Amino acid sequence: MKKWWLCLGLGLLALVVQGALATLLPPPWCPDLGLLVVLCVGLRWRGLAAGLALAGGLGFSADWLSGSLVGQHGLLRVLAFASALIAGRQLNLRAGLPLVAFVFAATLLYGIAAALISQFFLDMGWLPASVWLGGILHAAINGLCAPWVAAGVRLLGVWAGDEDGVSRALPIESSRRPV
Amino acid sequence: MPGFLNRLAAPIVFLVLVLIATVTMVRDRGDIAGEGHRDLPWWRGVLLEVAIPIQRAAAAPFDALGDAWGRYIDLVGIQQENVELRSRIVLLEQENLQFREALVAGEHLERIAAMRDDFETPMLPAEVVGLDVSPWFRSVLVDRGNQHGVRAGHPVVTEQGVVGLITRTSPGAAKVMLVLDRQSTIDAVVQRSRARGLLRGLGAGELEFEFVVRESDVEVGDLIMTSGLGGLYPKGLRLGQIVALEEPGGSLVQVARVRPMVDFGRLEQVFVMLRRGPSLDLLYGPNTPAPHEKPELLPGPTSPVDSESPSEPSAAPRPIETARVDRP
Repeated sequence: MKKWWLCLGLGLLALVVQGALATLLPPPWCPDLGLLVVLCVGLRWRGLAAGLALAGGLGFSADWLSGSLVGQHGLLRVLAFASALIAGRQLNLRAGLPLVAFVFAATLLYGIAAALISQFFLDMGWLPASVWLGGILHAAINGLCAPWVAAGVRLLGVWAGDEDGVSRALPIESSRRPV
Repeated sequence: MPGFLNRLAAPIVFLVLVLIATVTMVRDRGDIAGEGHRDLPWWRGVLLEVAIPIQRAAAAPFDALGDAWGRYIDLVGIQQENVELRSRIVLLEQENLQFREALVAGEHLERIAAMRDDFETPMLPAEVVGLDVSPWFRSVLVDRGNQHGVRAGHPVVTEQGVVGLITRTSPGAAKVMLVLDRQSTIDAVVQRSRARGLLRGLGAGELEFEFVVRESDVEVGDLIMTSGLGGLYPKGLRLGQIVALEEPGGSLVQVARVRPMVDFGRLEQVFVMLRRGPSLDLLYGPNTPAPHEKPELLPGPTSPVDSESPSEPSAAPRPIETARVDRP
Protein backbone atom coordinates (compact mmCIF):
# COMPACT_ATOMS: atom_id res chain seq x y z
CA MET A 1 0.00 0.00 0.00
CA LYS A 2 2.91 2.31 0.81
CA LYS A 3 4.30 1.75 -2.66
CA TRP A 4 0.90 2.54 -4.19
CA TRP A 5 0.72 5.90 -2.45
CA LEU A 6 4.32 6.70 -3.28
CA CYS A 7 3.76 5.93 -6.95
CA LEU A 8 0.60 8.06 -6.93
CA GLY A 9 2.59 10.94 -5.42
CA LEU A 10 5.37 10.48 -7.96
CA GLY A 11 2.85 10.45 -10.81
CA LEU A 12 1.13 13.62 -9.61
CA LEU A 13 4.47 15.35 -9.09
CA ALA A 14 5.48 14.32 -12.61
CA LEU A 15 2.33 15.92 -14.02
CA VAL A 16 2.90 19.21 -12.23
CA VAL A 17 6.61 19.35 -13.11
CA GLN A 18 5.76 18.54 -16.71
CA GLY A 19 3.30 21.45 -16.81
CA ALA A 20 6.04 23.79 -15.61
CA LEU A 21 8.63 22.29 -17.96
CA ALA A 22 6.27 22.82 -20.89
CA THR A 23 6.51 26.58 -20.41
CA LEU A 24 10.16 26.32 -21.44
CA LEU A 25 10.20 23.49 -23.97
CA PRO A 26 8.04 23.32 -27.10
CA PRO A 27 5.42 20.53 -26.95
CA PRO A 28 7.25 17.80 -28.90
CA TRP A 29 10.46 18.30 -26.94
CA CYS A 30 8.80 18.10 -23.53
CA PRO A 31 8.73 14.51 -22.23
CA ASP A 32 5.37 13.20 -21.07
CA LEU A 33 6.52 12.46 -17.53
CA GLY A 34 3.05 11.39 -16.37
CA LEU A 35 2.83 8.72 -19.06
CA LEU A 36 6.42 7.62 -18.40
CA VAL A 37 5.67 7.04 -14.73
CA VAL A 38 2.60 4.95 -15.63
CA LEU A 39 4.56 2.83 -18.13
CA CYS A 40 7.58 2.34 -15.88
CA VAL A 41 5.41 1.45 -12.90
CA GLY A 42 3.47 -0.93 -15.14
CA LEU A 43 6.67 -2.78 -16.04
CA ARG A 44 7.42 -3.47 -12.36
CA TRP A 45 3.99 -3.85 -10.81
CA ARG A 46 2.58 -7.15 -9.59
CA GLY A 47 -0.98 -6.58 -8.33
CA LEU A 48 -3.06 -5.89 -11.41
CA ALA A 49 -6.17 -4.42 -9.76
CA ALA A 50 -4.29 -1.92 -7.58
CA GLY A 51 -2.08 -0.96 -10.50
CA LEU A 52 -5.05 -0.31 -12.75
CA ALA A 53 -6.61 1.88 -10.08
CA LEU A 54 -3.32 3.77 -9.79
CA ALA A 55 -3.12 4.30 -13.54
CA GLY A 56 -6.74 5.41 -13.66
CA GLY A 57 -6.17 7.91 -10.86
CA LEU A 58 -3.13 9.38 -12.58
CA GLY A 59 -4.95 9.48 -15.90
CA PHE A 60 -7.93 11.36 -14.51
CA SER A 61 -5.53 13.76 -12.78
CA ALA A 62 -3.90 14.41 -16.16
CA ASP A 63 -7.35 15.16 -17.56
CA TRP A 64 -7.81 17.98 -15.06
CA LEU A 65 -4.54 19.57 -16.15
CA SER A 66 -5.03 19.02 -19.85
CA GLY A 67 -7.36 20.27 -22.55
CA SER A 68 -8.58 16.75 -23.21
CA LEU A 69 -12.04 15.38 -22.56
CA VAL A 70 -12.37 14.28 -18.95
CA GLY A 71 -11.68 10.55 -19.00
CA GLN A 72 -9.61 10.55 -22.18
CA HIS A 73 -6.24 10.28 -20.45
CA GLY A 74 -7.91 8.17 -17.75
CA LEU A 75 -8.90 5.51 -20.26
CA LEU A 76 -5.66 5.65 -22.21
CA ARG A 77 -3.42 5.42 -19.16
CA VAL A 78 -5.32 2.39 -17.88
CA LEU A 79 -4.75 0.75 -21.26
CA ALA A 80 -1.10 1.86 -21.29
CA PHE A 81 -0.56 0.44 -17.81
CA ALA A 82 -2.21 -2.86 -18.74
CA SER A 83 -0.12 -3.18 -21.89
CA ALA A 84 3.08 -2.37 -19.99
CA LEU A 85 2.24 -4.92 -17.31
CA ILE A 86 1.47 -7.65 -19.83
CA ALA A 87 4.51 -6.84 -21.98
CA GLY A 88 6.71 -6.68 -18.88
CA ARG A 89 5.68 -10.21 -17.91
CA GLN A 90 6.60 -11.61 -21.31
CA LEU A 91 9.77 -9.64 -22.07
CA ASN A 92 12.59 -8.06 -20.14
CA LEU A 93 11.77 -4.41 -20.78
CA ARG A 94 13.11 -2.96 -17.56
CA ALA A 95 16.17 -1.19 -18.89
CA GLY A 96 18.26 -0.37 -21.92
CA LEU A 97 17.25 -0.42 -25.55
CA PRO A 98 14.18 -2.67 -25.11
CA LEU A 99 12.75 -0.15 -22.64
CA VAL A 100 13.46 2.78 -24.99
CA ALA A 101 11.84 0.95 -27.92
CA PHE A 102 8.82 -0.08 -25.87
CA VAL A 103 8.20 3.47 -24.56
CA PHE A 104 8.67 4.91 -28.07
CA ALA A 105 6.03 2.56 -29.48
CA ALA A 106 3.68 3.03 -26.53
CA THR A 107 3.86 6.84 -26.77
CA LEU A 108 3.14 6.76 -30.50
CA LEU A 109 0.17 4.41 -30.03
CA TYR A 110 -1.03 6.62 -27.19
CA GLY A 111 -1.04 9.65 -29.50
CA ILE A 112 -2.91 7.77 -32.22
CA ALA A 113 -5.48 6.56 -29.70
CA ALA A 114 -5.91 10.09 -28.30
CA ALA A 115 -6.49 11.44 -31.82
CA LEU A 116 -9.00 8.67 -32.57
CA ILE A 117 -10.95 9.36 -29.38
CA SER A 118 -11.02 13.10 -30.13
CA GLN A 119 -12.22 12.36 -33.63
CA PHE A 120 -14.92 10.01 -32.36
CA PHE A 121 -16.31 12.25 -29.64
CA LEU A 122 -15.74 15.70 -31.13
CA ASP A 123 -15.92 14.99 -34.86
CA MET A 124 -12.64 16.80 -35.45
CA GLY A 125 -10.45 16.42 -38.49
CA TRP A 126 -7.40 14.17 -38.54
CA LEU A 127 -4.19 15.62 -37.16
CA PRO A 128 -2.03 17.40 -39.76
CA ALA A 129 1.30 15.92 -40.82
CA SER A 130 3.28 18.49 -38.84
CA VAL A 131 1.65 17.33 -35.62
CA TRP A 132 2.46 13.71 -36.44
CA LEU A 133 6.08 14.54 -37.11
CA GLY A 134 6.12 16.32 -33.77
CA GLY A 135 4.48 13.22 -32.25
CA ILE A 136 7.24 10.95 -33.53
CA LEU A 137 9.86 13.31 -32.13
CA HIS A 138 7.96 13.41 -28.85
CA ALA A 139 7.85 9.60 -28.72
CA ALA A 140 11.62 9.51 -29.28
CA ILE A 141 12.18 12.02 -26.48
CA ASN A 142 9.95 9.95 -24.22
CA GLY A 143 11.91 6.83 -25.10
CA LEU A 144 15.21 8.51 -24.29
CA CYS A 145 13.91 9.76 -20.95
CA ALA A 146 12.43 6.37 -20.01
CA PRO A 147 15.60 4.80 -18.48
CA TRP A 148 15.88 7.68 -15.99
CA VAL A 149 12.25 7.50 -14.97
CA ALA A 150 12.48 3.72 -14.75
CA ALA A 151 15.50 4.07 -12.47
CA GLY A 152 13.56 6.52 -10.31
CA VAL A 153 10.60 4.17 -10.07
CA ARG A 154 12.92 1.30 -9.16
CA LEU A 155 14.57 3.34 -6.41
CA LEU A 156 11.15 4.28 -5.11
CA GLY A 157 10.19 0.63 -5.04
CA VAL A 158 13.34 -0.27 -3.12
CA TRP A 159 12.78 2.56 -0.68
CA ALA A 160 9.19 1.42 -0.15
CA GLY A 161 10.52 -2.00 0.86
CA ASP A 162 9.56 -3.75 -2.35
CA GLU A 163 12.15 -6.46 -2.96
CA ASP A 164 11.06 -6.67 -6.56
CA GLY A 165 12.97 -3.50 -7.29
CA VAL A 166 16.25 -5.25 -6.51
CA SER A 167 15.93 -8.97 -6.80
CA ARG A 168 14.10 -9.12 -10.13
CA ALA A 169 16.06 -6.49 -11.93
CA LEU A 170 18.04 -9.25 -13.66
CA PRO A 171 15.69 -12.21 -13.75
CA ILE A 172 17.60 -14.28 -16.31
CA GLU A 173 20.21 -16.46 -14.69
CA SER A 174 23.20 -17.89 -16.44
CA SER A 175 22.75 -21.47 -17.63
CA ARG A 176 26.42 -22.24 -17.13
CA ARG A 177 27.10 -24.27 -14.05
CA PRO A 178 30.36 -24.06 -12.12
CA VAL A 179 32.68 -26.95 -12.75
CA MET B 1 -13.92 -18.63 -3.08
CA PRO B 2 -11.51 -15.80 -2.11
CA GLY B 3 -9.16 -16.98 -4.86
CA PHE B 4 -11.97 -16.80 -7.38
CA LEU B 5 -12.83 -13.26 -6.21
CA ASN B 6 -9.19 -12.25 -6.39
CA ARG B 7 -9.02 -13.42 -9.99
CA LEU B 8 -12.12 -11.39 -10.79
CA ALA B 9 -10.86 -8.22 -9.09
CA ALA B 10 -8.62 -7.07 -11.92
CA PRO B 11 -11.18 -7.48 -14.73
CA ILE B 12 -13.81 -5.77 -12.59
CA VAL B 13 -11.53 -2.81 -11.80
CA PHE B 14 -10.58 -2.58 -15.48
CA LEU B 15 -14.20 -2.59 -16.64
CA VAL B 16 -15.24 -0.06 -13.99
CA LEU B 17 -12.43 2.32 -14.98
CA VAL B 18 -13.23 1.99 -18.69
CA LEU B 19 -16.90 2.58 -17.93
CA ILE B 20 -16.18 5.65 -15.77
CA ALA B 21 -13.85 7.08 -18.42
CA THR B 22 -16.41 6.56 -21.18
CA VAL B 23 -19.24 8.09 -19.17
CA THR B 24 -17.16 11.12 -18.19
CA MET B 25 -16.07 11.65 -21.80
CA VAL B 26 -19.68 11.54 -22.98
CA ARG B 27 -20.72 13.91 -20.20
CA ASP B 28 -17.84 16.25 -20.95
CA ARG B 29 -18.81 16.29 -24.60
CA GLY B 30 -22.33 17.24 -23.49
CA ASP B 31 -20.89 20.09 -21.43
CA ILE B 32 -19.03 21.33 -24.49
CA ALA B 33 -22.26 21.36 -26.47
CA GLY B 34 -23.69 23.63 -23.81
CA GLU B 35 -25.72 21.25 -21.70
CA GLY B 36 -23.82 21.66 -18.48
CA HIS B 37 -21.85 23.84 -16.13
CA ARG B 38 -18.06 23.82 -16.24
CA ASP B 39 -17.15 25.67 -13.05
CA LEU B 40 -15.58 22.94 -10.95
CA PRO B 41 -16.50 22.60 -7.26
CA TRP B 42 -13.56 23.00 -4.90
CA TRP B 43 -13.08 19.28 -4.33
CA ARG B 44 -12.70 18.63 -8.04
CA GLY B 45 -10.53 21.65 -8.66
CA VAL B 46 -8.12 20.80 -5.88
CA LEU B 47 -5.48 19.51 -8.28
CA LEU B 48 -5.56 22.77 -10.22
CA GLU B 49 -5.16 24.67 -6.96
CA VAL B 50 -2.26 22.52 -5.82
CA ALA B 51 -0.64 22.64 -9.24
CA ILE B 52 -0.30 26.42 -9.34
CA PRO B 53 2.23 27.03 -6.54
CA ILE B 54 4.22 23.91 -7.39
CA GLN B 55 4.34 24.73 -11.09
CA ARG B 56 5.31 28.30 -10.28
CA ALA B 57 8.16 27.08 -8.07
CA ALA B 58 9.25 24.46 -10.58
CA ALA B 59 9.15 26.94 -13.44
CA ALA B 60 11.13 29.65 -11.62
CA PRO B 61 14.65 28.38 -12.47
CA PHE B 62 13.61 27.65 -16.07
CA ASP B 63 12.07 31.11 -16.37
CA ALA B 64 15.24 32.75 -15.04
CA LEU B 65 17.33 30.81 -17.53
CA GLY B 66 14.96 31.69 -20.36
CA ASP B 67 14.93 35.37 -19.37
CA ALA B 68 18.71 35.58 -19.31
CA TRP B 69 18.99 33.93 -22.72
CA GLY B 70 16.15 36.06 -24.10
CA ARG B 71 17.85 39.25 -22.92
CA TYR B 72 21.07 38.22 -24.62
CA ILE B 73 19.25 37.44 -27.88
CA ASP B 74 17.32 40.71 -27.61
CA LEU B 75 20.54 42.69 -27.25
CA VAL B 76 21.99 41.10 -30.36
CA GLY B 77 19.22 42.26 -32.65
CA ILE B 78 18.03 45.35 -30.80
CA GLN B 79 19.67 47.99 -32.99
CA GLN B 80 18.25 46.67 -36.24
CA GLU B 81 14.86 46.18 -34.58
CA ASN B 82 14.94 49.74 -33.25
CA VAL B 83 15.40 51.17 -36.72
CA GLU B 84 12.59 49.03 -38.10
CA LEU B 85 10.25 49.97 -35.27
CA ARG B 86 10.90 53.69 -35.67
CA SER B 87 10.03 53.60 -39.33
CA ARG B 88 6.97 51.53 -38.53
CA ILE B 89 5.83 54.06 -35.91
CA VAL B 90 5.95 56.83 -38.49
CA LEU B 91 3.85 54.79 -40.88
CA LEU B 92 1.36 53.86 -38.20
CA GLU B 93 1.00 57.43 -37.00
CA GLN B 94 0.17 58.54 -40.52
CA GLU B 95 -2.28 55.72 -40.91
CA ASN B 96 -3.83 56.54 -37.56
CA LEU B 97 -4.38 60.14 -38.57
CA GLN B 98 -6.02 59.06 -41.80
CA PHE B 99 -8.35 56.72 -39.95
CA ARG B 100 -9.37 59.45 -37.52
CA GLU B 101 -10.09 61.82 -40.34
CA ALA B 102 -12.14 59.20 -42.11
CA LEU B 103 -14.13 58.49 -38.97
CA VAL B 104 -14.97 62.12 -38.32
CA ALA B 105 -15.68 62.91 -41.95
CA GLY B 106 -17.90 59.90 -42.33
CA GLU B 107 -19.99 60.78 -39.29
CA HIS B 108 -19.07 57.55 -37.57
CA LEU B 109 -19.27 59.00 -34.13
CA GLU B 110 -22.49 57.15 -33.48
CA ARG B 111 -20.72 53.92 -34.26
CA ILE B 112 -17.98 54.79 -31.81
CA ALA B 113 -20.59 55.41 -29.15
CA ALA B 114 -22.15 52.04 -29.89
CA MET B 115 -18.78 50.36 -29.52
CA ARG B 116 -18.14 51.99 -26.20
CA ASP B 117 -19.46 48.93 -24.52
CA ASP B 118 -16.72 46.87 -26.18
CA PHE B 119 -14.04 49.23 -24.91
CA GLU B 120 -15.37 49.02 -21.40
CA THR B 121 -15.22 45.27 -21.12
CA PRO B 122 -13.57 44.67 -17.74
CA MET B 123 -10.21 42.93 -18.00
CA LEU B 124 -8.73 40.74 -15.32
CA PRO B 125 -4.96 40.27 -15.51
CA ALA B 126 -3.81 36.70 -15.03
CA GLU B 127 -0.52 34.87 -15.12
CA VAL B 128 0.12 31.70 -17.10
CA VAL B 129 1.49 29.18 -14.62
CA GLY B 130 1.47 25.97 -16.58
CA LEU B 131 0.95 24.46 -19.97
CA ASP B 132 -0.96 21.40 -21.08
CA VAL B 133 0.47 18.18 -19.70
CA SER B 134 -0.22 16.43 -22.99
CA PRO B 135 1.44 17.37 -26.29
CA TRP B 136 -1.73 16.40 -28.16
CA PHE B 137 -3.79 19.28 -26.75
CA ARG B 138 -3.20 23.02 -26.46
CA SER B 139 -4.30 24.61 -23.23
CA VAL B 140 -2.77 26.65 -20.41
CA LEU B 141 -3.42 27.06 -16.73
CA VAL B 142 -3.87 30.56 -15.31
CA ASP B 143 -3.79 31.70 -11.69
CA ARG B 144 -7.28 33.24 -11.59
CA GLY B 145 -10.46 31.32 -10.95
CA ASN B 146 -14.13 31.68 -10.17
CA GLN B 147 -13.44 33.48 -6.88
CA HIS B 148 -12.01 36.27 -9.04
CA GLY B 149 -15.08 36.33 -11.26
CA VAL B 150 -13.71 34.11 -14.01
CA ARG B 151 -16.26 31.79 -15.59
CA ALA B 152 -16.21 29.19 -18.33
CA GLY B 153 -16.77 30.93 -21.64
CA HIS B 154 -14.82 34.10 -20.85
CA PRO B 155 -12.45 35.06 -23.67
CA VAL B 156 -8.75 35.44 -22.87
CA VAL B 157 -6.64 37.99 -24.76
CA THR B 158 -3.31 39.77 -24.73
CA GLU B 159 -2.42 43.11 -26.25
CA GLN B 160 -1.50 41.12 -29.39
CA GLY B 161 -4.84 39.41 -29.87
CA VAL B 162 -6.98 36.45 -28.88
CA VAL B 163 -5.41 33.73 -26.74
CA GLY B 164 -8.36 31.41 -26.20
CA LEU B 165 -11.33 30.66 -24.04
CA ILE B 166 -11.81 29.66 -20.41
CA THR B 167 -13.06 26.08 -20.38
CA ARG B 168 -12.88 25.12 -16.70
CA THR B 169 -12.51 27.00 -13.47
CA SER B 170 -11.79 26.18 -9.88
CA PRO B 171 -11.81 28.79 -7.08
CA GLY B 172 -8.26 29.98 -7.73
CA ALA B 173 -7.36 28.67 -11.17
CA ALA B 174 -8.74 28.26 -14.65
CA LYS B 175 -7.94 26.26 -17.75
CA VAL B 176 -7.75 28.12 -21.05
CA MET B 177 -8.24 26.32 -24.35
CA LEU B 178 -5.93 28.06 -26.82
CA VAL B 179 -7.08 29.01 -30.31
CA LEU B 180 -4.38 26.59 -31.53
CA ASP B 181 -6.22 23.59 -30.08
CA ARG B 182 -8.00 21.39 -32.60
CA GLN B 183 -11.17 21.78 -30.56
CA SER B 184 -11.20 25.54 -31.13
CA THR B 185 -13.34 27.00 -33.90
CA ILE B 186 -14.04 30.74 -34.17
CA ASP B 187 -16.38 32.66 -36.45
CA ALA B 188 -14.07 35.21 -38.09
CA VAL B 189 -13.93 37.89 -40.76
CA VAL B 190 -11.19 39.30 -42.95
CA GLN B 191 -10.69 42.89 -41.84
CA ARG B 192 -10.16 44.31 -45.33
CA SER B 193 -12.90 42.63 -47.34
CA ARG B 194 -15.30 41.52 -44.57
CA ALA B 195 -15.19 37.98 -46.00
CA ARG B 196 -16.53 35.63 -43.36
CA GLY B 197 -15.31 32.16 -42.47
CA LEU B 198 -14.29 29.79 -39.71
CA LEU B 199 -10.91 29.84 -38.05
CA ARG B 200 -9.86 26.41 -36.79
CA GLY B 201 -6.99 25.30 -34.61
CA LEU B 202 -4.77 22.56 -36.01
CA GLY B 203 -3.02 21.49 -32.85
CA ALA B 204 0.20 23.02 -34.17
CA GLY B 205 1.57 26.54 -34.48
CA GLU B 206 -0.73 27.69 -37.29
CA LEU B 207 -4.46 28.09 -37.81
CA GLU B 208 -6.74 27.32 -40.72
CA PHE B 209 -9.27 29.80 -42.13
CA GLU B 210 -12.11 28.23 -44.13
CA PHE B 211 -14.20 30.46 -46.34
CA VAL B 212 -16.54 30.21 -49.31
CA VAL B 213 -14.61 30.81 -52.53
CA ARG B 214 -17.20 32.50 -54.74
CA GLU B 215 -18.14 35.35 -52.47
CA SER B 216 -14.87 36.04 -50.75
CA ASP B 217 -11.97 38.34 -51.40
CA VAL B 218 -9.06 37.02 -49.37
CA GLU B 219 -5.37 37.71 -49.93
CA VAL B 220 -2.11 36.83 -48.26
CA GLY B 221 -1.35 39.40 -45.56
CA ASP B 222 -5.00 40.01 -44.68
CA LEU B 223 -5.80 40.39 -41.01
CA ILE B 224 -8.36 38.01 -39.49
CA MET B 225 -10.63 39.34 -36.74
CA THR B 226 -13.40 37.86 -34.61
CA SER B 227 -16.81 38.45 -36.17
CA GLY B 228 -18.72 38.53 -32.88
CA LEU B 229 -21.22 36.03 -34.26
CA GLY B 230 -21.88 32.95 -32.21
CA GLY B 231 -21.55 34.61 -28.85
CA LEU B 232 -18.16 33.31 -27.72
CA TYR B 233 -15.81 36.17 -28.59
CA PRO B 234 -16.61 39.88 -28.83
CA LYS B 235 -16.37 41.45 -32.23
CA GLY B 236 -13.16 42.96 -33.58
CA LEU B 237 -10.46 41.06 -31.69
CA ARG B 238 -7.33 40.28 -33.68
CA LEU B 239 -6.83 36.58 -34.40
CA GLY B 240 -4.10 36.26 -36.99
CA GLN B 241 -2.70 37.07 -40.39
CA ILE B 242 -3.04 35.03 -43.57
CA VAL B 243 0.31 33.63 -44.67
CA ALA B 244 -0.72 31.27 -47.47
CA LEU B 245 -3.73 30.37 -49.57
CA GLU B 246 -4.39 26.79 -50.62
CA GLU B 247 -5.85 26.08 -54.05
CA PRO B 248 -9.58 25.37 -53.83
CA GLY B 249 -9.31 22.59 -56.43
CA GLY B 250 -12.93 22.82 -57.54
CA SER B 251 -14.26 22.93 -54.02
CA LEU B 252 -16.61 25.66 -52.85
CA VAL B 253 -14.62 26.09 -49.69
CA GLN B 254 -11.06 27.39 -49.74
CA VAL B 255 -8.57 27.16 -46.92
CA ALA B 256 -5.98 29.74 -45.89
CA ARG B 257 -3.11 29.23 -43.47
CA VAL B 258 -3.10 31.80 -40.70
CA ARG B 259 -0.29 32.79 -38.36
CA PRO B 260 -1.74 33.69 -34.95
CA MET B 261 -1.17 37.23 -33.70
CA VAL B 262 -0.22 36.00 -30.24
CA ASP B 263 3.24 34.59 -29.68
CA PHE B 264 2.22 31.46 -27.80
CA GLY B 265 5.82 30.52 -27.14
CA ARG B 266 6.19 33.52 -24.84
CA LEU B 267 2.81 33.60 -23.22
CA GLU B 268 3.16 34.88 -19.65
CA GLN B 269 0.60 37.57 -18.86
CA VAL B 270 -2.94 37.42 -20.24
CA PHE B 271 -6.22 39.25 -19.65
CA VAL B 272 -9.53 37.55 -19.02
CA MET B 273 -12.44 39.48 -20.53
CA LEU B 274 -15.07 39.24 -17.84
CA ARG B 275 -17.97 39.23 -20.20
CA ARG B 276 -19.64 36.62 -22.30
CA GLY B 277 -21.89 36.99 -25.26
CA PRO B 278 -25.66 36.93 -24.74
CA SER B 279 -26.00 33.41 -26.05
CA LEU B 280 -23.40 32.13 -23.59
CA ASP B 281 -25.28 33.73 -20.76
CA LEU B 282 -28.25 31.69 -21.84
CA LEU B 283 -26.08 28.58 -21.54
CA TYR B 284 -24.17 29.29 -18.37
CA GLY B 285 -26.47 31.60 -16.43
CA PRO B 286 -25.95 35.23 -15.51
CA ASN B 287 -22.38 36.44 -15.45
CA THR B 288 -21.90 37.60 -11.90
CA PRO B 289 -18.59 37.54 -10.04
CA ALA B 290 -18.50 36.01 -6.61
CA PRO B 291 -19.63 38.60 -4.07
CA HIS B 292 -16.99 37.86 -1.44
CA GLU B 293 -14.08 39.07 -3.53
CA LYS B 294 -13.98 42.04 -5.76
CA PRO B 295 -11.97 41.23 -8.88
CA GLU B 296 -8.86 43.25 -9.57
CA LEU B 297 -9.88 44.81 -12.83
CA LEU B 298 -8.22 46.82 -15.48
CA PRO B 299 -10.09 49.07 -17.90
CA GLY B 300 -10.35 47.53 -21.29
CA PRO B 301 -8.70 49.82 -23.82
CA THR B 302 -6.44 46.93 -24.80
CA SER B 303 -9.37 45.39 -26.60
CA PRO B 304 -8.64 46.08 -30.23
CA VAL B 305 -11.78 47.08 -32.08
CA ASP B 306 -12.29 46.70 -35.76
CA SER B 307 -13.24 50.22 -36.72
CA GLU B 308 -14.29 49.39 -40.26
CA SER B 309 -17.03 46.98 -39.40
CA PRO B 310 -20.63 48.04 -39.76
CA SER B 311 -22.50 48.44 -36.51
CA GLU B 312 -24.76 45.60 -35.51
CA PRO B 313 -27.10 45.29 -32.56
CA SER B 314 -25.11 43.36 -29.96
CA ALA B 315 -27.99 42.27 -27.77
CA ALA B 316 -29.88 40.40 -30.48
CA PRO B 317 -29.97 36.64 -29.96
CA ARG B 318 -27.50 34.85 -32.19
CA PRO B 319 -26.99 31.24 -33.17
CA ILE B 320 -25.19 29.41 -30.40
CA GLU B 321 -21.57 28.54 -31.20
CA THR B 322 -19.99 25.64 -29.42
CA ALA B 323 -16.61 26.06 -27.84
CA ARG B 324 -14.95 23.21 -29.63
CA VAL B 325 -16.97 22.05 -32.63
CA ASP B 326 -18.59 24.30 -35.14
CA ARG B 327 -19.45 23.64 -38.73
CA PRO B 328 -20.14 26.32 -41.33
